[in-house]
Amino acid sequence: MLFFRKKRLFFILIGFILLVGLIGFSLSERDDKTIVEEFIQDSVGWMQGIVHVPVEYTTTIAKNIKEIKNVYEENQLLKTRLNQYNRLLEEVNDLRADNETLRSTLDKTESESLRDFNAIQATVIARSKEQWFKMVTINKGEQDGLEKNMAVITGEGMIGKIYTTSQFTSSVMLLNGFDQSNRISVNVNVEDREKDASGFIIGYDEESESLLLELDEYNIELAKEEVVFSSGLGGVFPKGLEIGTIEEVKPDRYGLTKIAHVTPSADFYDLSHVIVVERLAEQPEESVEEEE
Amino acid sequence: MQRFYLPLLLLLMVVFEGVALDFVPQSLMAKELLMIPHWLLLFLVMITLFYDLENTYYSLLYAILFGLMIDITYTDVLGVYMFVYALVIYIIHGIRKVLHANFFVALLLSIIAIALADIGIYIIYFFIGINELLWNDYMMIRLIPTLIANSVFFILLYPIIKTRLLNWSQERFDSKKM
Repeated sequence: MLFFRKKRLFFILIGFILLVGLIGFSLSERDDKTIVEEFIQDSVGWMQGIVHVPVEYTTTIAKNIKEIKNVYEENQLLKTRLNQYNRLLEEVNDLRADNETLRSTLDKTESESLRDFNAIQATVIARSKEQWFKMVTINKGEQDGLEKNMAVITGEGMIGKIYTTSQFTSSVMLLNGFDQSNRISVNVNVEDREKDASGFIIGYDEESESLLLELDEYNIELAKEEVVFSSGLGGVFPKGLEIGTIEEVKPDRYGLTKIAHVTPSADFYDLSHVIVVERLAEQPEESVEEEE
Repeated sequence: MQRFYLPLLLLLMVVFEGVALDFVPQSLMAKELLMIPHWLLLFLVMITLFYDLENTYYSLLYAILFGLMIDITYTDVLGVYMFVYALVIYIIHGIRKVLHANFFVALLLSIIAIALADIGIYIIYFFIGINELLWNDYMMIRLIPTLIANSVFFILLYPIIKTRLLNWSQERFDSKKM
């Protein structure tokens, strides 16, 4: 009997050591996943892609029926909107042409601005069952040109960035899982000033369900509902991706900086089709390497 | 052929856990309640109760393999689910010798298993720094909703799978003896 107890204790201890080792391994800074991880993620992802279709179909039926009721009214509204859009489109074309001629007179010939990006369509096939990890899986991977840290958006606004990639699937970290180590440089539109206010998204506040934006300047007044968008500086995100709207501004704990609460534009819970954004402008890290 | 049924079903559980949250109504998600599907663990408990004999440890082996698979696909930290699931299944395997397995015992053991596993996961993640919930918040936000949601799934799963597991177990282990 004593022999068995010793054996049991021995196994539990080995398990514990293995656990600590594995946790240490996965928490260490590593750029790429191991082949085994990629393989398992891809094969599970492939099956999830198959399973996802009927599940999505059944779960959206109720929603669709509810939407059908409002179709007529919405259609009327949209028709009136459409005319406005046409006018807007003309205006945009005009402005774009204007912009180009002005740029050429300034001899600013760089065609790649911070705003340009390639869009890669993807579908969300699964959501992490461990909801403390704010991650979803999408059905595009390295084979489709995805890389780590690319921004992921929906029609409404930014939802997160690529966290890890495998060959055929990747996982996306949602904005509400961001922390200090992955900040986004953002600008805020201020109405009565020429320059935009700038700052960093430094995290997510679970209680108020809003993103925390640390402003660079202290003496600045921000109105509610002002739009926050990515600035394109210091990273891989292109300029002009909408992130959210200002909810309220208050000084931080020590009174040194101002923290704005930002309500995200996109809904993180109702995701199906997303767009992965590949920035065309060169990335800063690469240029540093070239200099060396 | 029959020995492949179990791993395949377990793999299917891992896959389904990823789309499980689509079934939860939006109104519940918005309340910040966390319901974690522990379907794999439920299935493993059933295997322990109805498939394994007293001296076989298939459920433990599967717990280690598929726990690691969950770690890889759904989380960023390896080993947590693997360790916790394996430990819980080992404990259930021990209790199983004492109790006679009927519906209520199975339900009770499943609830105990899920509570143990989820608390274990909470403690490990708390020490790594992935969550900062305090115990009381954790109880209200995550533990109780998770237990309720998984009990519902267990009641659905039990009648479908019980007799099959018993049959497979008989075929597997009886043929070995002869």
